[in-house]
Amino acid sequence: MRRNSMKADHTEPLRIICLVKFVPDVDGFSYDYEHSRLNRSYQRMILNPDDACAVAFALQVKQAHPSAHIEVVTMAPRTVEPHLLDLLRLQIDTGVLITDPAFAGSDTYATTTVLETYLGGRSYDCILTGTCTLDGATSQVPAQLAQSLGLDHMQDITGIDLNSFDREQAVFTVEDDNDTYTYQMALPGILSLTRASGYKLPYIAYEDFTKDVSANLTVVTNQELRCPPEQIGLTGSLTQVVETFVPEHQRREHRTVQVDEDGIEYIYTMLKERGYV
Amino acid sequence: MNHNTIPTTKNWEEVVKRQEIITCLQKILDAEQINTNQEDLYDASADRYKKYAKARNVLDVPMPVAIVYPYNTEEISKLLKLCNTHQINVIPRAGKTATEGGLENWKEETIVIDALHLNRIIDIDTYNMQATVEAGVPLQMLEDELRELGFTTGHSPQSKPVAKYGGLVATRSIGQLSTYYGAIEDMVVGLECVFPDGQICRIKNVPRRSGGPDIRHIAIGNEGALCYITEVTVKIFTFHPQNNKFFGYLVKDIDTGIRVLREVVVNGFHPSVARTYSEEDAAQHFYHFHRGHCVLLFMAEGPKGIVDATSEAIEAAVALHKAGIIEQVDSVLIEDWFNNLNWSQQDIDDEFEGMKEHDAHAGYTTEISADWKSIPVIYHNVIKRIREEYPRAHDLTMLGGHSSHSYINGTNMYFVYNYDIHCAPQDEMRIYHHPLQKIIVEETLKLGGSMCHHHGIGKFRNEWTQAEHGSAYYMLEKLKSAFDPNGIMNFGTIFYQEEGHKFQQ
Repeated sequence: MRRNSMKADHTEPLRIICLVKFVPDVDGFSYDYEHSRLNRSYQRMILNPDDACAVAFALQVKQAHPSAHIEVVTMAPRTVEPHLLDLLRLQIDTGVLITDPAFAGSDTYATTTVLETYLGGRSYDCILTGTCTLDGATSQVPAQLAQSLGLDHMQDITGIDLNSFDREQAVFTVEDDNDTYTYQMALPGILSLTRASGYKLPYIAYEDFTKDVSANLTVVTNQELRCPPEQIGLTGSLTQVVETFVPEHQRREHRTVQVDEDGIEYIYTMLKERGYV
Repeated sequence: MNHNTIPTTKNWEEVVKRQEIITCLQKILDAEQINTNQEDLYDASADRYKKYAKARNVLDVPMPVAIVYPYNTEEISKLLKLCNTHQINVIPRAGKTATEGGLENWKEETIVIDALHLNRIIDIDTYNMQATVEAGVPLQMLEDELRELGFTTGHSPQSKPVAKYGGLVATRSIGQLSTYYGAIEDMVVGLECVFPDGQICRIKNVPRRSGGPDIRHIAIGNEGALCYITEVTVKIFTFHPQNNKFFGYLVKDIDTGIRVLREVVVNGFHPSVARTYSEEDAAQHFYHFHRGHCVLLFMAEGPKGIVDATSEAIEAAVALHKAGIIEQVDSVLIEDWFNNLNWSQQDIDDEFEGMKEHDAHAGYTTEISADWKSIPVIYHNVIKRIREEYPRAHDLTMLGGHSSHSYINGTNMYFVYNYDIHCAPQDEMRIYHHPLQKIIVEETLKLGGSMCHHHGIGKFRNEWTQAEHGSAYYMLEKLKSAFDPNGIMNFGTIFYQEEGHKFQQ
């Protein structure tokens, strides 16, 4: 296995990089039916829930090891800045916003290229991230990144043993429908958590809401990363969108039934016909 | 917090005082009329205004000493006299659906007088078209009785399944059918109330009179800050549900919706429901047909001739403003929506349970009113300011509004908002709701509107009461000093109190 990532020097404190994505709030999604496009004017972004668990665990590590250094990295438009600043108000040490119009339209492959370029020059003991994103759910980026960086990777993690988590190893659990498995991984590596882990971000302290943390935020563009244009954005994406369309919904007949024998029979028959009962 | 024990932080002097109050209460009431259960006292410490902090057990206000349940007006008179003599704060309560802090407690020595046992429908007079009820009669109970007889109260706030008459009158409530039937102040023909010195006053039930100022309005909307309302006589109306007609439209903006509402109302027509919703608010009410647009809707109610004439006027107004109308909506959808609009106690309980586990609630509202010309300006100014100035705008999950009560000279605007909560439960109001409410109130007062259309001032808009009333605040202040010179009635409600300011921050 190729290992081109830089492990932090053993005399340095534990260094964690949290790789996060801000995703559209699906509850607030609106569609412009007249012009067949997403209405993004007030499209709200939220921290991807699986990624939030990764940050929450990192903060637990920092609480146990105050010298630990946490860096949150995201690749996103500038509009996510307020959300990133909120993470910095939670005692995250540094935030990195990788943003450039040249990155727009990147698929998971091109995204991996950008992230690999940035992370290749960083030192860390562990990369924590989420397994799935609300807007994509392909789980490709962490795995591709692990391959590019020559790191071990595990996804669907539902818990990490805080007591045995150090610069050398991580012990964690992965659950499927039938069993829970415990693994031990040598670090550096990439650990992808799921919402099922239940790690919850702490609240921002009242006095920190107005705290200026902008000095801890670094904006990185392609001017610094120097990714070849043909490898990023739409051009560098191996996935090409042929067409987007909104599925046509048929208007169904409206029927109101009463809570009586006939109404109950109607509902039961309908559910049965559709295989729900 | 464990509500089964008296908080250890309370000093001995206060414990003695609280015990002394209970001893005094026992001289007036039977033991079963005095509730000192700690869970109930915690619940009585605040209303739905601090619902989230309450659900998370982090309320910052003191618990009342007791909740008492008098059986009649005489007992209330004795209780008020006692409290007046010993400077004990009194919170009148009936229905418990307050949303603006009117039922929140800011004093260590407080009793809550609950209208639980004032639960009799005294008279339904279908010839004189009026009904008399005690303060603790649920609105739904009277409505059900009247429906049996072919009549209606005409009052239908969203809290109808839970609200009680004492609370409805004390908070100057309004119902969803107000454009046809009027608000509570249009319905109350007479009432009985008790003042802090124990004086019982009955205002007789007459169709109209010119016997000096209309003293009903000293009690209506007093929010428990002047007197305790014990009995109410309200108008009743004939009920013609078979004639109801519903109309719904998708409109290009809320301004168009407001213009159509105005057109209908200024021409003298009174649909019972006349509403227009912003895109965002429409999305949460009419998810199955809004298609990203504003919604305009009406319900025409009453005798057939009136319904026909009203329907014709609605269609004429829509035709006049057709440039802003996108399409008509199936009226069945509007009827279904209306029939499932009310909040039951179960809905309130479900939200409360949800707030215990999740960093979220069902949102907040701030309801204002202004003349026709100003209301769209206020709406857009508020939305713009919140989007541009509010530092937590990125946490907003919903921001919009609707107009739901119209008059010949203007209408209301019900601002509706919700947000992701990223702070501790005890900080939620000062991080989120208060700054938003402040913008709404400021923009409304700036254009001469009223900051409180139908929820009352409560305790959290009292810092603007003076600005709301301007030079007429003199009259309001005089009422307080005349009827409640010792300031025992619902401390902090309507009238700003420096001592209570710490609970507002």
